[in-house]
Order: sequence, then C-alpha cells, then structure tokens
Amino acid sequence: MNAQAIRKDIRKWIFKPETSSLLIFLLMLLITVLLQKNFFESQSLVRSINAFAPLILMTMGQAIVMISGTIDLSAGPALSLMTCVLTYIMKTNDPVTGVTAFIVTLLVAVLIGVINGFGAGYLRIPPVILTFATSYIWLGAALFIRPTPGGQTVDWFKAFYDFGSVKNAPAGLVAFGKVIPPALLLVLIGCVLWYILSKTRTGRYLYAVGSNGDSAYASGINTAKLQMKAFILNALYIFLASLFFVGQNLSGDARMGDPMTLKAIAAAVVGGIAMSGGRGSVYFAIIGALIMSLVNKIIFFANIPNAYQTLVSGLIVVAAISSSMIYTKVSHSEKNKENA
Amino acid sequence: MNALEVTGIRKCFGGVVALSNGNLVCQFGKITGLLGANGSGKSTISKIITGVYAADEGEIKYNGKAIKYRNPHEAKRDGIAMIFQNLSLIPDLTVWQNIVLGAETKKGMFLNNKQAKILSQEIIGQLQPGLDINRKVSELNPGEMQIVEIAKAISSEPRLLILDEPTAALEQEQVQNLFKYMRRLRHQGVSMIFTSHRIWEVMEICQDVIIFRNGENVGAINSEVEAMDPEKIISFITGEANHRQFTKADHKPSDDTVLRIKDLNYGKSLKNISFDLKKGEVLGIGGLAGQGQSELMLALAGSFPQLKGEAYINGKKIRLIRPKTAIRNNILLVPGDRQLEGLLMNHSLYTNMIFPKLAQKRQPLFTPRKKYRKECQDIIKALSIKAHSLDTVVGTLSGGNQQKVVVGKWLSFSTSVLLLADPAKGVDVGAKREMYEYILKEVKDKQMSIILYASDSEELMQYCDRLMIMYEGKAVAMLTGEEINEDTIVATSMRIRQ
Amino acid sequence: MEKTLLSKRKESLTVFYGNYKKIIAVCLLILLLFVLGQVLVGNFMSASQLLLTIKMSSFIAFFGLCQMAVISVGGNGLDLSVGYTATLTAVLTASVMDGQNGNLPQALLMALGIGILVGLANGLLIAYVKLPPLVVTLAMSSILQGIINVYTAGKNITGKPSPVLQLIAAKSTGIVPNVLFLLILVALIVTLILNKTKFGLIVYGVGSNERTAYLSGINVRVVRCAAYIICSTLASLIGLLLIGNMGTAFKDMGSNYVMPSVAAVVVGGVSMKGGEGNYLAVILGAVFLQTLTNLLVALGWGDAGKWLGFGLVLYILLMAYVSDRRRR
Repeated sequence: MNAQAIRKDIRKWIFKPETSSLLIFLLMLLITVLLQKNFFESQSLVRSINAFAPLILMTMGQAIVMISGTIDLSAGPALSLMTCVLTYIMKTNDPVTGVTAFIVTLLVAVLIGVINGFGAGYLRIPPVILTFATSYIWLGAALFIRPTPGGQTVDWFKAFYDFGSVKNAPAGLVAFGKVIPPALLLVLIGCVLWYILSKTRTGRYLYAVGSNGDSAYASGINTAKLQMKAFILNALYIFLASLFFVGQNLSGDARMGDPMTLKAIAAAVVGGIAMSGGRGSVYFAIIGALIMSLVNKIIFFANIPNAYQTLVSGLIVVAAISSSMIYTKVSHSEKNKENA
Repeated sequence: MNALEVTGIRKCFGGVVALSNGNLVCQFGKITGLLGANGSGKSTISKIITGVYAADEGEIKYNGKAIKYRNPHEAKRDGIAMIFQNLSLIPDLTVWQNIVLGAETKKGMFLNNKQAKILSQEIIGQLQPGLDINRKVSELNPGEMQIVEIAKAISSEPRLLILDEPTAALEQEQVQNLFKYMRRLRHQGVSMIFTSHRIWEVMEICQDVIIFRNGENVGAINSEVEAMDPEKIISFITGEANHRQFTKADHKPSDDTVLRIKDLNYGKSLKNISFDLKKGEVLGIGGLAGQGQSELMLALAGSFPQLKGEAYINGKKIRLIRPKTAIRNNILLVPGDRQLEGLLMNHSLYTNMIFPKLAQKRQPLFTPRKKYRKECQDIIKALSIKAHSLDTVVGTLSGGNQQKVVVGKWLSFSTSVLLLADPAKGVDVGAKREMYEYILKEVKDKQMSIILYASDSEELMQYCDRLMIMYEGKAVAMLTGEEINEDTIVATSMRIRQ
Repeated sequence: MEKTLLSKRKESLTVFYGNYKKIIAVCLLILLLFVLGQVLVGNFMSASQLLLTIKMSSFIAFFGLCQMAVISVGGNGLDLSVGYTATLTAVLTASVMDGQNGNLPQALLMALGIGILVGLANGLLIAYVKLPPLVVTLAMSSILQGIINVYTAGKNITGKPSPVLQLIAAKSTGIVPNVLFLLILVALIVTLILNKTKFGLIVYGVGSNERTAYLSGINVRVVRCAAYIICSTLASLIGLLLIGNMGTAFKDMGSNYVMPSVAAVVVGGVSMKGGEGNYLAVILGAVFLQTLTNLLVALGWGDAGKWLGFGLVLYILLMAYVSDRRRR
C-alpha cells in the first residue's frame, strides 16, 4: 500500500460524518471532565444521565422522522401535551390511575403520530407547515387540559425518575437505581426499539423513502404508510421522555416542551442525520444529543450568567447546524471528485 | 403459443399519435429486438406492455392469456419485468439492498440479509464481476447504476424481461457481460425484448428484429431465416423509396461568422465541441436522443457555470458561464421542456411574455403596461397563438400554444443567435408549420442565426443549412447540402458508416 | 373566432371569478364565523367589537405581509423570527424614545438597523448557504430571545413610545382606528408594487419557477436574500407599532403573532410554494383569524381554544388547498 492510497483512505474516513461526531464527542467529554473533576463519580454521573436522557429520547424520535425525509416541528408541544394528559388522569391517592394514565397517554401518543402521519403521508401536506399547524393543536389541547402547570401524580410513577423516591421500594431496586438510573433504562428501551426496527423492513424502508420517495414508490413501497409509521415512532419516543419528565417534576406544563424541538433537531443534525433524509444512524444521533448536552454543561461551568443562557444556546444551535450542513456539502463534493 | 403477442396497439398523448398500429410477437426463450428512430413508438409499446401506460386500442396476450396491467407491479407479479433507466434506485442504500428492495425475504420477523447478499452477489458477479455489493448506489457511476437496475429486475426471476435501452450507459465490457447473462436466461426459457440504438448490438444478441417507424412496425427480420443486413435495417428505419423532397427556405446565409465555438467541454456531457455559426444560417443539431444536444443548448445559453471552452460572438470573446451574459449578447434560448424551464405555468400570457425583459439593462420601474400589452398582442397575432386574452393563464393553453408562447417571449428582442431546443416537441403539424414559418421569416428579415435541435429529423432536413450530428457528447459529423437526407442522418447517428 | 355578446360576458365573469375565487372564499368564511357567533353567543357583531376586530386584525395583517414576502419568492420560505424581531425593536427603542417625539428618528433608524441585520443574517444563511428556512429562522428566533433576555436581565424595561407612534397605533380618528389607515396605505403600495412594477414580476418569476427565472437572467439568490431583509425590516417596524399600541414593551410582545402571520397567508389562499402574492387575501385571512379568536374567547375557551382553533383551521385548510400539496 503506497502513501497515496493510505492518505486517500484516511481522508475517506475523516469525511465520514460518523467519525467526526465521535471525535467531537470525545473532545467535549474531555473538556467536561477537566472542568468538572467528579464527572465520572457515580452520583454526578447519575445526575448527568438524568439531565441528558430527555434530549436523547427526543433526538432519537426526531432522527427517525428526519431519516424518512420529513421533520416534526410539533415534537416539543407533543411532549407538553403528554405530560398534561398524564397529570390530569392521575390522582395521587389512587395508584391504579397511574396505569390508566400510562395507557391513555400512550394512545394519545399514537393518535398524535397518526394525525401527523396522515397529513404528511396521505394528504401529502409539506411536513414543515403541517407540523407547524399540529404543534398548535397540541398546544391548544394541552392548555385545555392544564391551563396552568400542575396536576397530580401517583407515588409509583416517580419510579420513572428515581427508584429511591418511591415509598416502599425494595432496597435492591433502589441500590440498582443508584448505578443504573431509570432514565438510562428508558434510553435503553429506546435503543432496543430501534435495534429491532432496524432489522425489519420498516427500518430499511425509512431510509428508502427518505432517500428517494419516487424510487421507493416505484419499487412497490407504500410510502404513505411508511411516513405514518415514522411519525408514530417519533411519538412513542416522545412518550418515553414524557414519562421521565412527569416522574421528575410531578407536574404537567403546556409549554415546557417548546425549547426541545429545536434542540432535538440540532442534535440530530450534529449527530449526522441529513435533513434531506435517507442518511444517518440513530445511534449517532444519540451522540449528537450527548454533544449538545455536554456543550450546555460546559457553558454552565464557564459561569455564563443566567440571562445569557438562551442566547448562547441559540448561537450554539446555529453554529452546530451550519457547520454540520457545510461539512456535509464539503464531504459530498469530495466524494464526487473521487468518482469523476 | 407465443410468450407474448401484441396486436393493433394504438396510443395517443394529447394530440400526438405515438402508436398507430403496434404489433409484436415474442417467442419463448428468444430475444426480440426493437429498432427505430426517435419517436417511432418502440419505447411506448414496451411501456404499454408493462402497464406504465394504458393503450387506447389493441390487445396484448401473455402466455395465451389476454392481459392489461394497470402498473408495473401487477406486471411483475405475473413475471414481466422491465428495466427502466435508473428510475427506481435508492441512492443511500447499498447495491444488494437495492436489488432486493420491495421484495425482501424474511427470516422470522427480521430481514434475511444473508440470503439477499447471496442472491445479489450471484447476479452481480456475472454482470459486473468485481462490483462491491456493499457500496452505496450513490457512489456508483451511471454504468454501474444501470447494472444494478438490471440486476434488480432479474432478481424477481421474470419470465419476460423487457430491456429498454439498457446499454446506453454501459461500456463495452459491461455490455458483453450482460449479453452472456441474457444468453443464460434464454436457455432457462426466459423471453426478452431488447431495445437499443446501437444496431450492431441488436444484430448480435437478438434472434428477431422488429423495426418501428412512425408509430407502427414496418418490418421484421428473423435471424433464423435470413441474415441480418444493416443496410436493409436502415432502409426499414428510414423508409425505402421514400425520399421526401423539401423546398428549402429561400435564404442564403452570409459568409460572416456570428458565433464561434472552440473546444466546449462540460463534464461527461459535452466533449470538445467546436463549430462556426454563420450569420443568417440555420445550423441543426441532430443525432439520437440524449447524446448531449440539450446540454449543448443549455451550455450556449450560459447556464453552466463550470463550462469550459471558448466562445466568440461577432469576434468578441465572451465567457458563457451566466445566463445574463448570453442574454446581453443576444444569444437567446428557447428551452426544450417548456413546463420545467420555459414558462411560469400559473401566470398569464402577458406576464410570461414580458418576463424576459427583466434581464435587460435599465428596465423602467413601472412596467409600461400599454406599450408591452401592444407588443404582446402583435406577437400573438404573428404566431397565431390561440388564447382567449392576454390574461389567460398559460397552464390552460394547449401544448402547441404553450410552445408558441415560449418562442414568442423572445421575439421582441433583437436576437443574434436563437437557440431552439426542440421547439416543436409535442406540437401538432399545423402549429409547427406556423411557428417555423415565422422564425424563418425573422431569419430572412433580420439575418438572425439559428441553432436548431430537433428530435424529429424531418424538421432538421426541412429547415437546416448544415446539420451537426452528435453522439455521446461529441460532434461526429457535419452534414451539408445533399448530405442532409434521412439515410445519412440515421447512419451517422447510429455510427454505421464512418 | 366569432364570439357572441353573451358568451363574451359569461367569459369575463368566469375570468373575474377565477381571479377573485380565493378572496370570495375567505369572505364567505368570515361571514360563516359571524353567523356562528351570532347563533352561539349573541351580540357578536356589535359595532365596537367590529372596530376592535379590525384594529387587532391589522397587526396580524402587517405581520402577514412579512410572511408573504418570503413565501412568495419560493424555496419553501418561512420566517419564524418575525415575532422576536418586533419584540427586540420594541424593547430597545423604548428607552430611546422615552415617551417623547424628539428621538423618534433615532428610534426609526434603530428599527431599520435591527431589521436589516436580522434579515441579512437570515437571508445569507438561507439563500447562499442554502440552509432550510425553518431551521434558520427558528434558531434566529431563539437567538433574538436570548438577546432580549440579556438586555432585560435584572431590570424592568423602561421607556415609552413617542406620542406619534401612539397616535398611529393606539388611537382612532372618530370611530376608525388609525392603524386601519396605515394598513390601507401599505396595502395599496404593496399591491401597486406587485402588479405594476418589475419587482412584482421578479417575485412571481422566482417563486413560480426558479429555473425559468435563472435562465431569463435573474439572480435568484439575491432576490431571496432581499425578501428576508424586507421581511425582517417590516417586522422590526411593526415592533414600533406594537409598543405604540401597548404603551410599553414586554418580552412576549411579538411571539404570539408568528403563528397567525403564517396562518393568514394560508387562509388567504396564497400558495405556500411561492409565485403568488395577493395582499388583500392575506388581510382578509387576518380578519378571519381575529374573528375566530373573538368567537373562541366569547365561547369561553380562552387561549387554549385560540391555539387549538388556529391549528385545526390551518390543518383543514392545508387539506383543502389541493394545489399546494405535493403531487406525484
């Protein structure tokens, strides 16, 4: 192997989006550990996982939708709506309501996915304006159910956040939860779900439809049904995130999810998911979410005053998305130069 | 019984007759070749067989049974597969994923990827040994993509395989591999219909050859009965004893060169094109469809920023890398695909006609409505555009009238070089004649020069002073005077006689 | 072709109907709301209600113009940052004006400056770097929100609008709110530009068919970038009106207008794909939305009902406007 071939191989490897996000993640991790010496200590690690998990789940869901060639602007408000439904149905002194709330909210999640999916897949409404519209439907519904933040939760629901805070929790479970917090379990469920999905037809068709919908259709794939499935899957991931939020905050809030939409989209893009669809790995989208979360942590440690946080957050999003997209364009033209 | 019997197919698109009497017979285990000039109907009949189009009249019998498919999926289920030109590949999936797309086998609940890879490797190994089935389709070159498209059709194990111009993007070696595979399929009893514009390929691989012209088949040669004679085939394609006489327009191009092009290059589409265009001349661009003619027109209009080569207009050197440059130098393009490139479909005749003026220098802020409206009225009259009023939305006009609007847009300009990219495509005979009459009048009156690309060789023969034939991006012949006749055009287009 | 007088008249009626079909549809929708209101609530159409509706609709209509600017040039244009652009201007100019007319010119200049900067940032990223408008303007909105947070950290927003602004935005001449005059003026100018000048043609061309416009020699990127600059500058100026109307500035002044601004364009039937521009339709769309809000409030459904209603109406209209859907 001569030097030129090796150089070519290295260049190919560097320009893979996966590689760069991995490298950036490690870099961010390094900086974080430097700033927070006890980052890897069990207690602070658990705290970090709890802070990161919601974004990770939202990002996974958004990644799936983006891979299939669409986008979901209503993700944040959908999350809010689910928290409101949960805390509306649950009554503190009746543990059974926890179960009903779970089931009903799950059904609501599926309904949200169906409404979005129907509009995008069957009515063929452009996804941006469609989910823009539905985001207000979810917001309105959430305000209806929960005009002001509040609501009730049953005690065992706290298990979605911290096993220890549930009354009469078995000691073994509590100890387990100090190492593997429920948030991590939720993320793992999400990963397992995607793993199974990626081995089925639906998983592959997500990429097919996102890459070239017309070719997919010409190959006999039902693109409308596929897009509906993508939105329903996204709603399921949002559902998992809502369980965590309610377990943690013990209340529902019609506006809490708003900032999450943009953050999830940015995280997915940073994680290598192409906005045009057909490309990217959900696992690397998780890395994207981790990168964005670590960056936020670093900003926090840099002692930026509270007032600046939104601003910095917004700037980071713009920088992250711009550089990701510019990077993708550059690596594409590299590839084209190779082929020509 | 024959594998396929097609009788009396008739198909019209709008007002244009694509097939008036299409007939075709395919025997089991035989390869039937379809030959014909552009627009002769050979592609249309294939698409009707697989269900892309529905025939207006006629009957199709497959394995003795009458069939009428509504879409290619139905046809596929019955064992008829058609290979399109790169219409169904997913760029971001790998070769093997594409080959089994839509027909993946499952192992329990999950995809059986192992089996898919084995199947793909087997087919690819014979069509293009060495092609890595794990590469993404987006990384392949057009020839390799075509191979994958072919492999995909074959993987469904069809009994009747229709290959519509499959070799257009392939290199010699790939073609030979394909032929080897086709012969294997023959032995398995698969019937095939093979279309190509390379006559020698058809002669090599097909047992029967059916020739189409003007929407019906005009000749058939059975290789088991008589040997394939290229000259005979050409005469079928062009029509023996049918040398039409045309009255040439009574203009004479001057000796001044208005446009000089040297070594025009653009990626893979244009290779070292050079020519001189004289003032008052009509230069035709001919050849089979898709040999770079449209790209040449777009290039001359300045729409390729990465175009390489030299251009001189009236002796002045210009860089044709922006449309504005071409327009300012009075090189105007009438685009071929009027919906995509030529018109604003949702807007009125008036809006469309005055739109190009915006590119000119020093346009008044307030559009001088009265003046412009009068100009447009004049053009409508000159071209006999049939529309209710200037405010009619262009999208509602007929194809021919739309095309006239595309041409008419530019008529109020003083044009030096008019680039006509298939202006009469899909236009009925009467409108065609009106349009050309007007254009040629301009040529005579204003000594305007024209570069005309037409897919219909009749137009080329009738109106051109010289005819440049293109093949695979290169200019392979420049025909003048007597040489501009059907035989020579077809021969040089198909590279039969050098 | 000979045409009889009758067929000619029928034909011109058809043309008239075609041109104004969308406007007629919106008017009918508004009428429907009024009828519903009268039936369900009673006393829905009082004169003072009507005037208030017109006044509030005008603000939505102004923002609607911003959206129409970026939507009509095509490329899936959308600007979600208009709300915070207006808010930022209101907040920053409040203390500059400080309740007097003297500093109004400075305030105006400031507003223009903010608008142009924001619009330029949006326009460059969208038209030149080719980032999706949704993401860019959403992120920009977040940044602007951040800037407002920084500026107002720890202190109350001081300052009052100059009386001139208050006159235009808040007060009325007789019973007619002054903003209505401003709206009519703006509407006339916009319609004039679109229908009678070359800029209108350019907008239609770039929005309808980017390729045709390019081949006709138009610089599509410049046009799109300019559209975003115009949008943000207008939004910024609206910020002045907002503070003039409310008397002070506060952090969420503009954000509630974003959704209605887009919805007004959709309700008005202006194509989201671009190539069309009908400001009268957008204004009527704004009236419809405000009327809908009034109806929902009258029914006691408050904020929740308003957003739910908007979302549903938008969804249904998107379903109905077949021409805008992606076709195979």
